[in-house]
Amino acid sequence: MLYWAWILFCFTLVGVAAALWARQIYVGLGVSGLRQPVMWAIYITNFVFWVGIAHSGTLISAILFLFRTKWRTAVYRAAETMTIFAVMTAGLCPLFHLGRVWNAYWLLPYPNERSLQPDFRSPLVWDAFAVSTYLTVSLLFWSMGLIPDLANVRDHAQGIRKKIFAVLALGWQGTDRQWRHYSIIYLLMAGLATPLVLSVHSVVSWDFAMAQLPGWHSTIFAPYFVAGAIFSGVAMVITLLVPMRKLLHLEELLTPWHFDNLAKVVLLTSLIVSYSYLFETFMTWYSADPIEQMTFHMRYFGPWGYLFWIMVLCNCIIPLFLFFPSVRVNLLQIWIISIFVNIGMWLERFVIIAGSLRVNFEPAQWGPYHPSITEIMITVGTFAWFLGLFSLFAKHAPIISMTEMKEGIMWLRKALKKGDSTKAA
Amino acid sequence: MSSGLSRRSFLKLAASASAAAAVPGCEPAARKLIPYVVADPNVTPGIPSFFATICNECPAGCGLLATVREGRATHLDGNPEDPISQGSICARGQAGLQGLYNPDRLPHPMSRNAGGTLTRVSWDDAMKTVNSKLGAASKAGKDRVAFLGGAQGPSLRDVMSAWAAANNSSRVLYYSPFSNQGMREAAETLFGRRDLPVFRIDQAEVLISFGANFLETWISPVEFGRQYSEFRAPKERRGSTTIGRAFYVGPRLSTTAAKCDEWIAVAPGAETEIGFAILSVMLKQRWVSQNSGVDLDALAKLVASYDAAAVGKRTGVPVDTINRMAEAFGKANGALAISGSDDPASHLAAFVLNSATGNFGKTVMFLQDAPQGATNKAEVVKSFVDDLRAGKIDVLVVAGTNPVYSMPPEYRAAEALQKVPFVIWAGGVPDETAAMANLLLPMHHPLESWRDRNPRAGIWGLGQPVMQPVFESRDLGDIVLSTIQNPKWATSAEAVKATWQDLGTKAGGSFDDFWVKARREGGLFQDQHVADVKLNLASVQAPAPYTAPEISLYSYPHIFLYDGRGADKPWLQELPEPISQIVWDDWAEIHPDTARKLEVTDNAIVELKTEFGIIQVPALVRPTVMPDVIAVPFGLGHTAMGRYAANVGANPFAVLGAGRMSASVTVRPTGDSRKLVTPLGKSEQLGRSIVEAMTIEQLAAGEVPEGHEPEVKGPYEFYPAWDYPKHKWGMTIDVNACIGCSSCVAACYAENNVPFVGKEGVDNGHIMSWIRIERFYPEAHEENPPLMYLAPILCQQCDHAPCEPVCPVFASYHTEEGLNGQIYNRCVGTRYCENNCPYKVRRFNWFLPEWPSPLNLQLNPDVAVRGAGVMEKCTFCIQRIQYGELDALQEKRAVRDGEIVPACAQACPAHAITFGDIKDPASAMMRRRDQNKLRNYQILSELNTQPAVVYLRDLHSAKGKA
Repeated sequence: MLYWAWILFCFTLVGVAAALWARQIYVGLGVSGLRQPVMWAIYITNFVFWVGIAHSGTLISAILFLFRTKWRTAVYRAAETMTIFAVMTAGLCPLFHLGRVWNAYWLLPYPNERSLQPDFRSPLVWDAFAVSTYLTVSLLFWSMGLIPDLANVRDHAQGIRKKIFAVLALGWQGTDRQWRHYSIIYLLMAGLATPLVLSVHSVVSWDFAMAQLPGWHSTIFAPYFVAGAIFSGVAMVITLLVPMRKLLHLEELLTPWHFDNLAKVVLLTSLIVSYSYLFETFMTWYSADPIEQMTFHMRYFGPWGYLFWIMVLCNCIIPLFLFFPSVRVNLLQIWIISIFVNIGMWLERFVIIAGSLRVNFEPAQWGPYHPSITEIMITVGTFAWFLGLFSLFAKHAPIISMTEMKEGIMWLRKALKKGDSTKAA
Repeated sequence: MSSGLSRRSFLKLAASASAAAAVPGCEPAARKLIPYVVADPNVTPGIPSFFATICNECPAGCGLLATVREGRATHLDGNPEDPISQGSICARGQAGLQGLYNPDRLPHPMSRNAGGTLTRVSWDDAMKTVNSKLGAASKAGKDRVAFLGGAQGPSLRDVMSAWAAANNSSRVLYYSPFSNQGMREAAETLFGRRDLPVFRIDQAEVLISFGANFLETWISPVEFGRQYSEFRAPKERRGSTTIGRAFYVGPRLSTTAAKCDEWIAVAPGAETEIGFAILSVMLKQRWVSQNSGVDLDALAKLVASYDAAAVGKRTGVPVDTINRMAEAFGKANGALAISGSDDPASHLAAFVLNSATGNFGKTVMFLQDAPQGATNKAEVVKSFVDDLRAGKIDVLVVAGTNPVYSMPPEYRAAEALQKVPFVIWAGGVPDETAAMANLLLPMHHPLESWRDRNPRAGIWGLGQPVMQPVFESRDLGDIVLSTIQNPKWATSAEAVKATWQDLGTKAGGSFDDFWVKARREGGLFQDQHVADVKLNLASVQAPAPYTAPEISLYSYPHIFLYDGRGADKPWLQELPEPISQIVWDDWAEIHPDTARKLEVTDNAIVELKTEFGIIQVPALVRPTVMPDVIAVPFGLGHTAMGRYAANVGANPFAVLGAGRMSASVTVRPTGDSRKLVTPLGKSEQLGRSIVEAMTIEQLAAGEVPEGHEPEVKGPYEFYPAWDYPKHKWGMTIDVNACIGCSSCVAACYAENNVPFVGKEGVDNGHIMSWIRIERFYPEAHEENPPLMYLAPILCQQCDHAPCEPVCPVFASYHTEEGLNGQIYNRCVGTRYCENNCPYKVRRFNWFLPEWPSPLNLQLNPDVAVRGAGVMEKCTFCIQRIQYGELDALQEKRAVRDGEIVPACAQACPAHAITFGDIKDPASAMMRRRDQNKLRNYQILSELNTQPAVVYLRDLHSAKGKA
């Protein structure tokens, strides 16, 4: 009952956001707080945020798979599911932001009688390709991994559920031949997905780095954004898994040891991100470009300076607590830290995107920005949409990979025998 | 087939029959397509016609050339034949179109019943009422009928006099709030004449303006803008490169002051003191001309108490500054002093300065046969209003003026109008005076009617209707002529023609030829002889020494709204006033020191109380006004006058004395606030190269200002250069010539269907202007900065345009002629182009633009109206370029230089903008660059955007050298 109330709550918010979006399409983008010169703000911040969230899923499922990391098995399905829904959410954000959304398909190359093609010099076209490729590959990889589990569910289900899962399981029998093919394809898919982890967010970062706006135009953006994406993505995994573990009673499968490992990734990427902030500042000073320096001065001490310092607190200071092993295995504490990281990483994108636009080359065209209720509710709607979808999946589908857990159980037993209490606790 | 009907024909018939049956179903409204069976020989659809006419937005009387498309006037330009406008007009002139198409114009006659509500009446009924009221009044006695109008041309004056005479009356009064009464009085005292002299700023080397905003609203701003740019252009004089040196003495750093070398801040009224002090220095130093005919002994007596030191003490102006002005003025080969102050003595000082230096006849002159002013003396106006109040008049016709709004409170005009039993108001948008009238008659806009103007000797402007009336209006002359028996002329058109018949007779030759020529050229323009005048100091009394009130209120006509007549035009409301950059509101400029004393900040509403009344205005704390002076523009504070004007701001006319523009005032912060809205971000350039300036000393020495040396252009191109097979369009903008008047901006609104967005829209950052006047204050660290940086910023049409490669759909692209084109239909609205544009000149349609009907009739059919969600921008008026190129193609020739002129360049009174082909080194645009090599710069050139626009640096004299 509580579950359905939650689902209803989420999709009510989605409905409100959809209605506001419909109004925005009908009336014009003027209902947003966007203005001269802050032409991009919350919608694009959300886009980058959600694309970033989407990163950890593939990182965990593909890269850690290739590295044969043991703790991956329990969390990868949830992380990958999160990726799928995050990319779906991210894909919506540029649509919210388009002036004439009904023409959005013009960004894709498609045959037409006037031979009109998109401009491949535009980072937005790269973006359209990168994100759609990422969605496709992630979707394939995720559904591939689901097949044996779906078959398992099919075998234990009754009635209509059996029929649905029978279709979804694609006739999986669990024969040796099928397993052999499955393992090969899974490995290949993991290999295919791995470069995407790096490329997608690099491309997203080039939306900014390719422009010449001070505060955007920077060569470190690609690694800086990828690290940030993994940082926020893993933090989001923690944010989702901690309550999920409690609600779905997965304490046996998701142990503090798993969270300890996730927290280490968060800590590492936090340090990379902090280093990027420092390095960006250094480069700005070293460049001796007064316009760039003014942008950074305004970023730190301007009207939105407080946002920057909150961001530093969330992204650089608070994650330092993860150096303490006791914090890393305290689920409540890392859950709180992960939420701070989410807030901080959202702010980071906002500070970079809107903050740099606000302080552009032309001082006479500097201008403030205040998000409108439409933008705020659509942002809330994206969170509701994401959480609603994730909850639905977690409730109705195998959110932890049963097959891989079975494989892993052997290794876990071994570890327990050794008496390694931290890992097995 | 035997039936004679083939299958194919049958199907055709069947299809057309069903289509015919379906059509009325889906199109119930009557939509008539009337073919040009007999085509009007004067109209080719798609090709504009041009009509010469005259402007009515201020007394300057500029000649206009109206562009008429398929029966609708869509654009106004200056009439090139007219010696005043010479092909350019100001923003107010451009906005005349929005007066014509104003959605709040009275659409039909209306009558006020006893309860005070207005009801629609037919013209027949309205005229019946008029006739009966007039009949009764004229029978009741002499002078029971009166007319009160604005400045009018000679023909309409004849008509009104004839009308009054037929109604047993001689009461015809012409009133306008700004009619240079002070100058006329001074001229009467000194020269015994009341006409205005002609000024030739371009003939001077030194100019002193005592509060005359000659680039904004004073007498004839378009003409002075042109003269001033000539005056300020660098010239070789006595072996060195110099510019005209200009001093502005006044309380506010107006746009005019900002373009001068030095602003001498004095409290309102103290300009006179400075004038007399300069005279006293000049007398002492023998800088006056010995043979000017001025009685130097009398002059010495007159200026006795105006010793520079004493004046310096009274006004706070350094003695050194007074000496410097005196020396510059006295030693110049051609100098001019002008005054726009409300103090007649300041005009006296200016006249004496010009006379004593022998400049009469050179930089300033009276002409023979000069018109004596289109409006009546202040005393006459006052006694007229007194008579109204005394109940001496039964029927009053008011047209073309707004006494309730603009008359000084001591006249008590509203009370006077209430005492008149029957007031007939004729006009466009019903204003405060209309609100008190019994009968409201819609009057033709000047662009719909015949009229004429005689703004100065030798210049007769002819106004002809350029299109059919928009509403059910009638011409004022026609209305009044229809009320009299056997009038001399049946219509005002005949009256105008009669006037011109006289002029034609004087000119000689056939009248028909003369009439055709007059209509084609927009009037009759003759050289006029300079009148011989003798300055007589005998009757001049030295004014009492000036004592400054603690705090004074200073009001000045708003550059766009003028005396309030511009307030109903959205373009004029949306143009940022160049210095304050405020739109859609009025403001009280307060110096930061004074603001600190009064404890007010920006947007705080202050109550200004004079002996006549109280107004409440939001404060704008700026250093552009002298301490202890509060500057509030005239023009707003309407209680009526349509949706755009009503209930915006406060009206300073309501708190000032007759003929005064300043008063002693007490200030009280009310505690309320109202946000003043501006599209301007920061007021400082932060050392960036946007608007640049250099001193004339640097130019003469051949130096480029520090930090702005031309950059080394290395071979650092990644992509091959663009190939331009035919043309590469470019622009040269002379910042030194630019006077900040914003005429270019208004012209762009008109030409390119740029929508206006209102106060809230501007506040939300939605302003749509493609070209803007950027205004920057000099920064503290700058050496020898100009008083203010002012320049037009528009799309720079970069070769390496940052906007182009980021567009995902090629909506933003590079044309074969070097323009940064924008395909509105292709735009999906990512707004990436504007993010990447360093100049921030692209504008996004946040909403579907709206032009309340019939404002939409003004839209230029050559330019698409953009929908919501589309980015738009300047393309150097690509429609005009196309037009020029197609013309050349049809005539099988190359495009001639100067044939294509974008709207902004055409409108510019100061000729600051030149357009042309970069590939043609002989084009005027390229020559202008080459001739001013040292002054060339490009905005933010370090970004290597390679703009097609080259600016020429502003010039001014170094501090203390002016």
